[in-house]
Amino acid sequence: MKKENSSSGRNLLSIYRIKYILSKRWVKIATVYLMTLFILLFINFILPRLLPGDVIIAMYSGQELLITDELYNELIVLHGLDKPLIEQFYTYITQLAHGDLGYSYVHRASTIDLIMKALPWTLLLVLSSFILSSIAGIILGVESSWRRGGRFDRLLLMFLLFIDGIPSLALGIMFLSVFSLYCGWFPTAGAITPYSDETGITYIIDVLWHLILPLSALTLSQLPGDYLLIRSSMLLTIREPFVLTARAKGIKERRIKYLHTARNAILPFFTRIGIRVVYVITGVLFIETIFAYPGLGLLTYEAISNRDLPLMQGIFTISVILVLLVNIIVDLSYKKIDPRIEYA
Amino acid sequence: MHNSYLKQFKQNKIGMTGLIMFLFLSLLAIFAPVIAPHDPWDYSFECFLPPSIDHLLGTNDIGYDIFSELLWSLRTSIFFGISVGAIASTIGLLVGVSAAINGGLYDIIVMRIADALLAIPTIMVLILIAAYFKPSNIVLIIALSLIIWQTTARGARAQTLSLKSKLHIKAASNMGASTSYIMSKHILPELFPLFAMGFVTKVRIAVFMEAGLSFLGIFDPTTKSLGVMMNYAMRYLYLDVWYNWLLPTVLSLSMIIISLALISYAIEEIFDPRLRRDNIA
Repeated sequence: MKKENSSSGRNLLSIYRIKYILSKRWVKIATVYLMTLFILLFINFILPRLLPGDVIIAMYSGQELLITDELYNELIVLHGLDKPLIEQFYTYITQLAHGDLGYSYVHRASTIDLIMKALPWTLLLVLSSFILSSIAGIILGVESSWRRGGRFDRLLLMFLLFIDGIPSLALGIMFLSVFSLYCGWFPTAGAITPYSDETGITYIIDVLWHLILPLSALTLSQLPGDYLLIRSSMLLTIREPFVLTARAKGIKERRIKYLHTARNAILPFFTRIGIRVVYVITGVLFIETIFAYPGLGLLTYEAISNRDLPLMQGIFTISVILVLLVNIIVDLSYKKIDPRIEYA
Repeated sequence: MHNSYLKQFKQNKIGMTGLIMFLFLSLLAIFAPVIAPHDPWDYSFECFLPPSIDHLLGTNDIGYDIFSELLWSLRTSIFFGISVGAIASTIGLLVGVSAAINGGLYDIIVMRIADALLAIPTIMVLILIAAYFKPSNIVLIIALSLIIWQTTARGARAQTLSLKSKLHIKAASNMGASTSYIMSKHILPELFPLFAMGFVTKVRIAVFMEAGLSFLGIFDPTTKSLGVMMNYAMRYLYLDVWYNWLLPTVLSLSMIIISLALISYAIEEIFDPRLRRDNIA
């Protein structure tokens, strides 16, 4: 590209034009979304077809499923494997657009139904832990950075660095063995007491009671990241002249802390929400497996033990779509959060 | 230039604690075949033996010696971590620097791919890839490296771009220094802390992923793994074997990751002096 730049003026103009268009913020964002979808497509559609051998055998062997000739032909038609690649791709895309993510032969149910049954529990877990860890992380980070170098700051930093080192997997196992098995305070599995048929307030209490342990394990595994991010961002913002000005004007300490400094220090936190969602998804996979919480994580675990590929692909698709949705929301609301950003 | 970084790292207590912990664990891993009292694949012992001198942590449900198993799993973890760390941060460095130097469409495309990779749940990709291929550590190492290079690439690109406009680089290139000379003498040494940081973070991600995936049931059947040990130990929690089976496994995994977290925090502190604890401005 560089050589072409210098050789012909006309080309140079067009390349700069392309570069200009590509550097616009919304084009950038849209390209990233397209790339993400392409990677999704590559892993779900192209990669299994590139593999040597039969796709059907690769996808369904190892399951507790007898592949008769009849079933084999049925599967071929279902995936459109008897048609040319372009048409297969077209079928795949239309199915995807209709929310059809395939059929799980292990569960004898369509993948999307299984996912939709599990999704609310995962969302409950993820959203509540997300909110809790954000609030706790912001407050602890702000207070800690305000007392930087002090005993509170150093102790909290050491403590949370230590917690940061304990992976969510280990944290979940420790919580389960100490609080459920040893102390017996919380249930060991599930999201509701089976066959209890509770309604109203007792149902909500039952759900919360089952939620507490997975939620605290997940929150505690997310907290150090939030805290460290806010703390370092605060340390950089505290030095800005406007903080000094605010202090000189005699504004109250708490007002400066939260409305002036934290308001600005929080920006990198928002840009990272899209990335943090990915971490939460990873965390929730282990936490749900450990606590047998009936969400997407447990479903993934079952899919792995059954070698249920259509289900795995469906969960992968849904998780990518969830991450993209969060990213779109963050991108759209970014102007509200930081009015200084420019939309080209 | 980076000599001073090393000196600063030596004075950083958090970082040195982490480094000593990690080196200790690595030594255990490297000398696992020598230290381990028994063959980790030997299932001829009695099941559920309590800890004794012969079996430091007892035996498990099918008669493996847990202590030997633990050492070999540590070996897998650290080998996996270091390979992914090395491959991924090298890819990141190469991509970032080449994007900064070439510019143009290559730069744009590569950086958009890097952005897109951030939105992909790594663990789900690895699960799928392990399901397509037979789960072997080599396949998982390569797949993981191909996904997590992007943070290093972003950093390397940004820093190379800012270095490129520095006066001493311009002077060097005006005096006729070749690109490769400038790269090796001026740019790459400056990128060392970034590379080190990327390496440590990626080792950490990889160790976690290896344990996590094998806990979920995706593992190389030819190696021992901390995650598999945890999974089996959790099935026998009711037998009161947690203190000699589950606890040591969970603790060793946590120790590896804590040591890496401490090292990366220390590097970050040295890298950005404004974050220092004793810097009260």
